[in-house]
Amino acid sequence: MEPVIRKLQRKTLVPAQIIGYALTILVGVTIVLLTFQLYADIKPALTSQTDVFKAHTVTVSKNVTLFKTANKEGVYFDQRELDRMQQQEFVKKVSKFTSSSFNVSASINLGNGHRMSTDLFFESVPDEYLDVQSDAWKWDSNSDFLPIVIPEDYLSLYNFGFAESQSLPVISQNTLSQVSFNILIEGNGRQRMFTSRIVGFSGKINSILVPEDFLMWANRKYGTASNDRCSRLLVEFTDASDERIPAYFEGSGLNINKTELETSKMVFVFRFALLFVFAIAAIIIVLSVAFIVMSLNLIVQKNRELFVNLYNIGYSPNQIARFYQRVVSAITVVDLLLSTVVALWIRKLYVVRLESLFTIEGGLLPIFFTALILCVLLLLVYNYLIRRMIRTTVAP
Amino acid sequence: MSESEVAGSDIYLHTSVSFEKGKKYMVCAKSGHGKTSLLNFIYGCNRAFDGTIDYGMPVSDPFQLRHDKLSYLFQDLCLFSELTALENVRLKNNLTHFKSEAEMEALLAAVLPAEKKDQPVRTLSLGQRQRVAAVRALCQPFEFLLLDEPFSHIDRQNAQTLADLVCHEVDAQGAGLVVTALDAIDYFHFDTIWNL
Repeated sequence: MEPVIRKLQRKTLVPAQIIGYALTILVGVTIVLLTFQLYADIKPALTSQTDVFKAHTVTVSKNVTLFKTANKEGVYFDQRELDRMQQQEFVKKVSKFTSSSFNVSASINLGNGHRMSTDLFFESVPDEYLDVQSDAWKWDSNSDFLPIVIPEDYLSLYNFGFAESQSLPVISQNTLSQVSFNILIEGNGRQRMFTSRIVGFSGKINSILVPEDFLMWANRKYGTASNDRCSRLLVEFTDASDERIPAYFEGSGLNINKTELETSKMVFVFRFALLFVFAIAAIIIVLSVAFIVMSLNLIVQKNRELFVNLYNIGYSPNQIARFYQRVVSAITVVDLLLSTVVALWIRKLYVVRLESLFTIEGGLLPIFFTALILCVLLLLVYNYLIRRMIRTTVAP
Repeated sequence: MSESEVAGSDIYLHTSVSFEKGKKYMVCAKSGHGKTSLLNFIYGCNRAFDGTIDYGMPVSDPFQLRHDKLSYLFQDLCLFSELTALENVRLKNNLTHFKSEAEMEALLAAVLPAEKKDQPVRTLSLGQRQRVAAVRALCQPFEFLLLDEPFSHIDRQNAQTLADLVCHEVDAQGAGLVVTALDAIDYFHFDTIWNL
């Protein structure tokens, strides 16, 4: 048999208000869950997680013209140019590439006595620009191990060009990282052998990078000329989507790799769009919460006499509040479960379309986690408010 | 109230008044002299008074007494008009499950025509409502039963029936009884009669 108190309180509810709340919170929460999930899904693809090179940074070099081919000095930056660039508002930091001034050759043993070797060059950039795990990107003068970073394009060139035409197997970044080879550096009549391994790939820097302190040390010991001339710069922007950037560099006759700027713009637009959608969804949620709280307040005001009578005959404020707490909590939990299901379903739809563009690796954690947090938060707020409303009404 | 109005009072102007468990008290006064206020002070639903009420035990909130120490027949009854007579009684009984369903029905049957117990309280006469509220007050354990003008709308015969029910329950629980009335009533054997 239904407890008498529930029969009394059931009549105080207004079905239209509850349905209104259930619908609006369903819409709001579903959108919020989706924005979180979409952001988590697409962000790695946009920021190309595989790149070891920091975002918001581009490499800058001077345009090579016919005139400069003859007079090589023209491709170098001098201090004045560096200072001028540093003063631009959108530039956060300008750093130089350091290049090797000694001979480098890499070799790999193919077994059966054969050896393959090639001449190389090294460059380095300040370590802070690289996003390689710090223990892999470490070098000290006692160690014979030398980590290097190569351009992603080298591998693409092999996989999609060479391997394709020669019917050789393709190699993944992961496989290539397992292979170790030998590096021989020579200069000043001295030489030294290192073992080396590729610890990262970069799509932004077309160069073979080694740790900066290694290059400093090696240049001192094996280098031929003490030159600090530099033909390439690393420029870090405060915001790579700043519109003045392309204009400035074009006007100064400088070359920048534009992909970073394009991606940054895309990321910016994408973020802004998501943020906008999220803000609207958040407003919907806040409004629906305010709506149900106001409805409850109205119920309490309208039925003040009922609640006071219940209190008079011995029902505690918590006992009186329990029914409303349960109703609102149950609706909220069911709604959030429903939102989760709807969000999962919509995600399934968009994943099918997006997967043709890039791989989506992320899990469903954003949906579940956000739903859980929202659920806990809403239940806490409602249960606290309902108790307080009843308490202040029956026992002011 | 002015001093002349309360000069004959057994309660006003006295430093303390005490009610003892197991005894029956009547508080008699004219309308507007504070009978209801006195009971409300004791029951804890009106706290606008000076002085202290000692319940003989530590009580932080008099509300706690409503569970099994104090029961109160309100002058304005505090019934739920949409509920039936039986449901009103059951609503109270659900707090402590003090009476069985059969006991509740028996109590109601003693004071109401049989067909009335399942009718919404709003269809009952004032006297019938008063009897429902009185029965409701009996459906919990208590150490004191407070009845505020319990017979104001009830004829003599029904009043005596109700008084016998109340007496029986109060004695069974070994509780104290405090009854207010406009004029002296003789349905109970009071130990003390106070003029307010």
